[in-house]
This record gives sequence, structure tokens and C-alpha cells, in this order.
Amino acid sequence: MQSEVLLAARVSVRYGDRPAVLRDVELKIRRGEVLGLVGQSGSGKSTLAMAILGLLERKNSRPEGTIDFDGCDLLTLRERELRGLRGRKIALVLQSPLSSLNPALRIRTQLREAWRAHAAGSNANCEDAIRAALESVSLPSSDEFLRKYPSQMSVGQAQRVLIAMAVMHRPALLIADEATSALDVITQSEILKLFRQLNRSFGMAILYISHDLASVAGICDRIAILHQGQIVEIGTTEQVLVSPQHEYTQRLMAVMPKMPQGIALGRAAAN
Amino acid sequence: MKDLLGRLAGMTIIGKKLIAVPIVCLGLLASSAWAQGELRFCLRSEPKTFDPLKVEDDASVTIRYLTGGVLMRMNRRTQVLEPELAESWKVSKDGKQITFKLRSGISFSDGTPFSAEDVAYTVKQLMDPALHSPTGDAFRSGPGNVETKIISPVQISITFPAAVAGLDRQFDQVAILSAHSPKKEMAVLGPFMVADYQPGATVLLKRNPNYWKTDAQGRKLPYLDSIELDIQPNRDVEMLRFKRGEIDLVNSLDSEYFDKLAATSPQLVHDAGPSLDSEQMWFNEVAKAPLPEYKKNWFRSAAFRRAISEAINRDDLSRVVFRGHAQAAVGPVSPANKFWFNARLKAEVYSPDAALKALQADGFHLQDGILKDKDGNAVVFSIITNSGNKYRERMATMIQEDLQKIGIRVNVVTLDFPSLIERMTQTFDYEAILLGLTNIGLDPNEQMNVWLSSSENHQWNPQEKSPETAWEAEIDRLMKAQASTADAKKRKEDFDRVQEIAVEQQPFIYLVNRNALSAVASSVQGASPVILAPQTYWNVETLSLKYSKPLTGQLRQNP
Amino acid sequence: MSWRTNLGRALACAVLLLVVSLSLAANWLAPAGYAKQYREAADAPPSREHWLGTDEIGRDRFARVLYGTRISLLLAPAAALLTTLMAALVGGLGGYLGGRWARGAMAVTDLFLSLPWLFLLITVRAMMPLNVSPLASVLVTFLMLGLLGWTSAARVLCSTAGSLRESDFVRQARASGICGWRLFWIHVLPNLKPVLYAQFWISIPAFILSEANLGILGLGVAEPMPSWGSLLKELEGMVSVGEEPWKFVPLILLVVVVTSFQLVLSKQEEVAA
Repeated sequence: MQSEVLLAARVSVRYGDRPAVLRDVELKIRRGEVLGLVGQSGSGKSTLAMAILGLLERKNSRPEGTIDFDGCDLLTLRERELRGLRGRKIALVLQSPLSSLNPALRIRTQLREAWRAHAAGSNANCEDAIRAALESVSLPSSDEFLRKYPSQMSVGQAQRVLIAMAVMHRPALLIADEATSALDVITQSEILKLFRQLNRSFGMAILYISHDLASVAGICDRIAILHQGQIVEIGTTEQVLVSPQHEYTQRLMAVMPKMPQGIALGRAAAN
Repeated sequence: MKDLLGRLAGMTIIGKKLIAVPIVCLGLLASSAWAQGELRFCLRSEPKTFDPLKVEDDASVTIRYLTGGVLMRMNRRTQVLEPELAESWKVSKDGKQITFKLRSGISFSDGTPFSAEDVAYTVKQLMDPALHSPTGDAFRSGPGNVETKIISPVQISITFPAAVAGLDRQFDQVAILSAHSPKKEMAVLGPFMVADYQPGATVLLKRNPNYWKTDAQGRKLPYLDSIELDIQPNRDVEMLRFKRGEIDLVNSLDSEYFDKLAATSPQLVHDAGPSLDSEQMWFNEVAKAPLPEYKKNWFRSAAFRRAISEAINRDDLSRVVFRGHAQAAVGPVSPANKFWFNARLKAEVYSPDAALKALQADGFHLQDGILKDKDGNAVVFSIITNSGNKYRERMATMIQEDLQKIGIRVNVVTLDFPSLIERMTQTFDYEAILLGLTNIGLDPNEQMNVWLSSSENHQWNPQEKSPETAWEAEIDRLMKAQASTADAKKRKEDFDRVQEIAVEQQPFIYLVNRNALSAVASSVQGASPVILAPQTYWNVETLSLKYSKPLTGQLRQNP
Repeated sequence: MSWRTNLGRALACAVLLLVVSLSLAANWLAPAGYAKQYREAADAPPSREHWLGTDEIGRDRFARVLYGTRISLLLAPAAALLTTLMAALVGGLGGYLGGRWARGAMAVTDLFLSLPWLFLLITVRAMMPLNVSPLASVLVTFLMLGLLGWTSAARVLCSTAGSLRESDFVRQARASGICGWRLFWIHVLPNLKPVLYAQFWISIPAFILSEANLGILGLGVAEPMPSWGSLLKELEGMVSVGEEPWKFVPLILLVVVVTSFQLVLSKQEEVAA
């Protein structure tokens, strides 16, 4: 299981005539693993996420190369086929939960829409799916909660809703793009725990994108370091943290406040 | 009889003057000088010209009336011609020649003496084809040249190539120019002269120091020092300024304003009775009009038109729409036109029953309350009128209800004026039109353009190549006959007959004659508004002001 | 949701209900109808026979207000709905699709804004038959208003939709596999609601008034049918309120109705937001 490759990307992306944002980035994600992608803002992390989902602005961006996912090249798929993958096979959780939920819609509507995008079933089926998804992220599935608008929830709850939406169809790959960066420390650790838990219980691979090496360290099996559009280092979390090879990784390590105790424990627990 | 009445009317005026004079004198004592101040009223448009021969628009007509000296003037009250610069005149039997005896010792406003030469010069200019004088058009009776013969400095005869109908009356419009004055048309013989003109704002007239007339006491006329004419197209603003006391006269007042003003200050408003203006509707009788054949048949049937006319309650129109300030119209000539109105004609008696009977006799029938023609077509037509004229909109709506009573459905459509005119004169895509007609002159010749079947203003069926009906041919003949003779009696007979035919045939369904309403500030003395233009200031030379203007200024300064 | 706003809302609802039911009951309340001319009592003050007096040609003002309400209250919102939908369609969809579509939508809007409407309306009038029944004139009038009024809102909608398109939640929704019409309908449109509501509520009084002005071109509601527009036209040239206060009833009614509508609706908007 661990060795089976779910996604293999070798891709370059440039916007218009400007220099490439991603230069020949090579990345493999195995089934069920949590891969951390670390880089400072502007390094091209989000671009990679969007390229995998086929959500790059089509007209002025040119992804080149291949992104093999589950036996097909995502870059050659047509929009219709991509749509079928999004949310079902590959899901996304964005950074800011409150702006990622539609402010004008109730939670139930948003979840229902996400479910209906890939499932044709009765309302009862839909309700069940919504309840199951909410339970899986430890949120109440009461009617009162479902009637809420995003503005009536806490940030942590909102992020859990987003995650519930993302895992609804049990995707093989979840892309979490800075999914915890906007959260306070306590909520952040809770959400990280949730990711780990989902990863284990569903066997779902996670591409965990962050600028923060520390938060990535607590959850990832492997870590890739992205610097100026290139993967400069990739390896198990231990390798990268203990003996960083690339000069940029070393700099990242140097600015890390200090190895928090919890992470070591977390790793121990993971192993 | 007519003359006697006229003289009687004249005497009353003189009587009034005699009584008025002592009061004026008292007023004088109070204000300590003959400072008669400035009369103010509004022009409703920009005057297009100060050249009296080129005058066409209303504002210019006003200025011509106030500044121009004429050989004779029609008294606006008695409708009788009175001598002015000409002491007397004589029209030849054939109606081609007129001979004037002029007053002597008169000079223009700039001091240039007036003589027969000036009259000859004016006539020459007037008839000059290059000038295109609208006033001159009335004298162009036939091909050939107009000859002027100066018999002496105070005597002149003018001979036209053909008889000019109502020749003497036409001279009411001809302001005499100076042949020699360096100031050209700005040298005038009338009571006032143009002193200043601010385009878009005002025209200032000052009294003509050389004006020849005096009043019964030998005082030089006019009494007023000056007249300020403010150019103000907006009637609401004009009304407001009158209420504030900024202007002294308002002509052709709206009946609603009249009633509002009358409610608070009845002494300011004057209803001089029915005017020459008429409101009328007519059906489209144009053969090539884009209308269904059966509708054209209705409209071209005199019985149909008469029935419609009979089914319209004209008294209600006058009473409701014009609040009583109008009278049911009789025919083409308003009863206000004392000489030319055919007194044998009576206003149509409102009778929907008679109208329905007449229609049934003409092949129409009522079916479930809807009038249908002999082929079963329901009688439905639209009346268009110009939008923004609430009186016409209301008349049309009332006619709509009147005709509903005889089973006719009328749709009222209001159109902007250009669209209406286009339908009326170009596309002929209309069924009935309701509009008003403004009559300026009294003479039948002024209506020539409406009655001749070849005319483009022959609205119900313009520019007929030859008269399409016998009655139109008859009207053509009568109108031409009256125009080609100077014999007043013969002309009257002919024109009486035209009026009778018009009433029989109803090409125009005359609705009402609006009353001539006006308002005059209480400070104006000597005013006696009449129905003919210029209603309030026709006797401008004898108007005076009770208070001099600075007084109101002082009042205004007090908190 | 204080009791006060609730009360206001209930009151507004009651007012609307009252106005609508009164106008629907016009046949019973004013049996003589809106066209009957009491010519002996033209321009009369209120009396037992004519509760709001009569108009210039003696028609019962109360009856005209009731029937006029029926027409304006039904058709002005219908026309407002039409413009709102047009604006949403052209502006909202254009902005949402972005790129060429947005440019196209704006070009259409600009074209509409720059068209010489007066002449176009005159042409429309010229092409229409003169013999249009009053009822047909009502429908045509409001249809035209509906088709013309959408441009300014379309501009706002286009830019709003454009920015929504770039928003996180739309990206998130697309990542969930939602796309096309569904995405526009469910995720974009509800966020355009405030603009759409504003357009709708601004349009209603504007249409009621412009209906009266269309009469100048022979396009308004034809006589003898009443509308709020033609009733308001009566007030033209009125100098003082004090003289004939009953003539202001249509104006007061318009203000009350529009305010009530807004009260009822702003409440829902609050909940939505």
C-alpha cells in the first residue's frame, strides 16, 4: 500500500510571458501518505495545487509536463472529466475558512451542493451523507447547526465544515492549501489532529501545503521543500528535519523557534 | 347698424376716459411728477427680427405693435379700422387701388420728418420679392408690379395688379419705414422705440419722444416712460412673476391659472369672452391613407361626421375642461369675429339619440351596445392629440365617454408634436385628430390656406389635385370669389355660405372657442383687455401705472 | 431581531395586504368604476359620494386610486422583476464568465446606454397601431420599461460578479466539482442579491413615474384607465399642499407602499446576510 503511487507530477507552469512559477517540479504522492509541501509565499505552492485540480486560469497560464493521477494525465483531461474528479477523487481545503464558505448560503445548502455535484440520490441519502460527513469532523449534525450561515460560526467550526465538505466523497487525495495557517494555535492543533485521523480512517492521501515547517512536521510522513518554483529537497520528515541537505531547508530550520515537544511526541505516536 | 354700434362703443371708451382722467391726476399729485415708470411683461419667445417687414413670430409681432406706426389701425375692441398716420383713405371700386391722405408735421423717433415718400419706400420694400416679407404676402394678389404714385407730400396712391381682398385692413400690419433715416428700421413712428436688447433676457422699449398723438387734454402720448419685455418661455414662471408683482400683464391666461388667481384676487383677472381661437377635431379623409377601406368609408361620410358632431356634448367640454371659460363652437368662424361670423348658424345641439338615429339611417346598427357598420365592423377609432396639452387630453377623454353612449369605442392617444405632425401631413396614418387652430386675423383670406382643397393645410385631405367632392369644389369657388372682390357685402355672402357648407359637411368638427383670459396688475391703469391680440396692451399708449416702481423697492427693503 | 423591527415588519405587511385587498375589492368599493365622469361635480373636494373628491373631468378619485393601484402595483413590480432578471443575466452572467463574456456584456450595456431612447421609443410608437386597447397599452408600457431599465444595475453586477468569480468560496466550490449554471445559480447569484434587491426596489417607484412620462410619447397607460403615474401627473403645477390635500393621496400611497415593501424586504435581506 505505502509504495503505490497515487499521483506523479512533473510539471512547469508559467503565467503569460512572465518567468515560470513552477520549474520542472517533480513530485510523487503515495496512496494514504501525508506529504508536506513547504515553501515561502510566492514559491508556487498554490499554483501546484491548482494545477493538480485543473483550476488554473486557463487563458493565460500554461502548465506543461504531466500530472499522472490514478492512471491518467490530469493535464490532458477535458474540463468535463476534470469536473468529475474534483471533489470526488481530489478535494481541496483552502486557507481562510470564512471566505471559503459562501457567505450567502446556509451550511446545509453548501454541503448539499457539494454532495449533489457527484451523487444522484434522494434527499434522505443526501441528509445521511451530510450527517456522516459532519460526524467525521466532530461537528454536530443538528438541524439548528445546518441552518447556520458561515458568519454565525467560529473559524474552527468553519474549517471543519470545509473539511467535511472535502471528505464527503472519500477522495483519494485531499489538498490542504495552508489549511491551518489562519487558525489560532489550539484550533490549529485540533485541525491537524483531524487531518491525521481522517488520513488514517479513510486511507486518504493528503498533500499538506504550508509555509510553516513546524506545523507540517507534526503531521507529514514526507516533506518536500519548494523554493523559487523548484523542489529543492524531498524526503521523510525525519530526514528533512534532522539532516537538511539544501541550504534553503537549513535556513528554514534555523528560523524555526525551537522544536516543540509536542511534535516529537506526535511523531512518536505516528510511528 | 354695425357702424352705429361701433360708434357707441367708441363713445363709451371716451366716457370712461373722461372719468378716469381725474383719478389719474390725483395719482399724479401723490407721486409728484409724470414719472409713469415702466410697464413690464413677458415675451414668450426670442424676437426673431426688429425689421417690421420681416416679422413672422409672436414676439416680433409684439414689438412691431409697440413700436411701429401704421397708416390705419383696427381698433381691437370695436374691430373697426381707425385712422392713424393716414387721416383718411379711399379704396377704388375694383379693389386694386388705395389712396391715402397723410397727416403732416409728424416725424420719426430720430427726428426725420415723415412724408408720402416713406410710405412709397415701405410699400416698395414690402413687395420686394427678395425680402420675402410675410406681411407682403397678403398683398400679392396676382402677377405684376405694384405702383406707387406720390401725389403730394401728404397724398399717395398705391395700385396693385389685381384686387386685394380687404385691402385697407391689411395695412394694420404694415409699419411705415423711413426712406431717409440713417437709423433705418430702428427709426419708428409708433409710441415706443427699441432702446436696448439683451438676447435671451430682455428687450427694453423707451417712449418715442416724437410720437404724434396726444390725449384729450393735449398731453403727449404714450403715458408710460418705458416697457421692459422679459423673454420667458415658461408659462409657470411667467405666472409666478406676475404673482410676485414683477410683471404687470399676462396675455392668454390658462383657465386653471385664471380660476386660481380669481379665487384670491378677482380684480386682477379679465375674461373678455370667446376668442377667435377654436379647438376642433377632424377625421382622416385622405384617399391614400393607410387605413382599412371600411374606415375610410365612415370618415368620408358626411352623415357619420355629423352624427359624431351631434353626439359630442360641447357645453360639457366648455364647462368642465375650460371651467366655463369657453363656448361651444358654432363653425369655422368664432362669434367673436363680429363682422364675418355667420349669425344664422347656431351651435350644434347635443343629442346622442338623434346622432344614433342618423347613424342607423346611414346603415349602422347597434349590437350588444356596440355600433357596427353595415358589414358588421365595430366602430372603433383613435383620436390623437398632442401630449402635454391637458385641455385637449381631457376633451378627448370626454369625447371618448360621449361616443361610448352611442356604442363607439374611442382610443385616446397622445403623441409628441413632431410625431403628430408627421402623421397629419406626411404618412396620413391617423383616424382622427384633435387640435386647436389659432386665428390671428379676422378676414376670411386669413383662412384661405385651410379651405382651398389644393392647400397643404386643408387638413382632412390636403393637396387635392382637383376637389374630390362637390362641396369642396363649392368652397374653393366661394373662397376664390370672395378673395377677388373688394365688395364687402358680396364677400360676406360668399363667406357666410362657406361657413354653412362647413357646418353641413363637418370636415372639421368644431368643439369650443376658448375665452380670451388675461391678468392685469392693479397698478396698471387704463387697461381694458379684449379678445384680439394683443389682448391687454392693445391700447398701450394710454396705459399708465398708479405707483412708480421705486416704491415697491422701498417696501421690499423693510424687513 | 428585536420586537420593534418585527412590529415594523408586521405593520408593513399589514399595510401591503390592506392596499392589495382594497385594490382587488375595487369593484365593490367603487361600483361606478374609474371611467365614469360626474361632469356636474368636476374637480370637487371630498364628499360622501366621492371620498377623495373628483378629478378634472369629474371621475371619482377614490375609484381611480383603487384601480390605478391594481395596475401599478401589479405591473411595476413585474417590470422591475424583468429588469432585475435582465441585469442579472447580462451583468451577472457576463461578470461571472469573465474575459470575453464580461467585455461583451459591458459592450451591450454601453450600447443600450448610448442608444437614443427617445427616438427609439418614438419609433416604437410609430410602429405600433394607434388603436391599442387601454389594457394592451398597460402591458406594452410595462414590458418596455422592464426591457429598458436594466443597464445601470448590469454594470454594478458585472463588476461584482467579476470579483466573486475570483473569490475563495467560488474556487472552493469549483474544487468540489460544482460548475457551470449550478455554480452561478447557487453560489454566485445569492451573493449578488443586495445589488439585485436594490435594483428591484429602486425600479418600482421609478417605473411608476416613468410610466406617466411615457404618456408624452403616446406610450403610457391609455385613457381612461388609471395608473399611479397618471394620478401623480395631476400634481404637476400644484403650488401648495394646503389647498387641496386630498389630491396628494396617490403620492402618499406610493410612498407608503414603497416604504412597506422595503421594510418587509430589508428584513429578509438581514436574515440572508
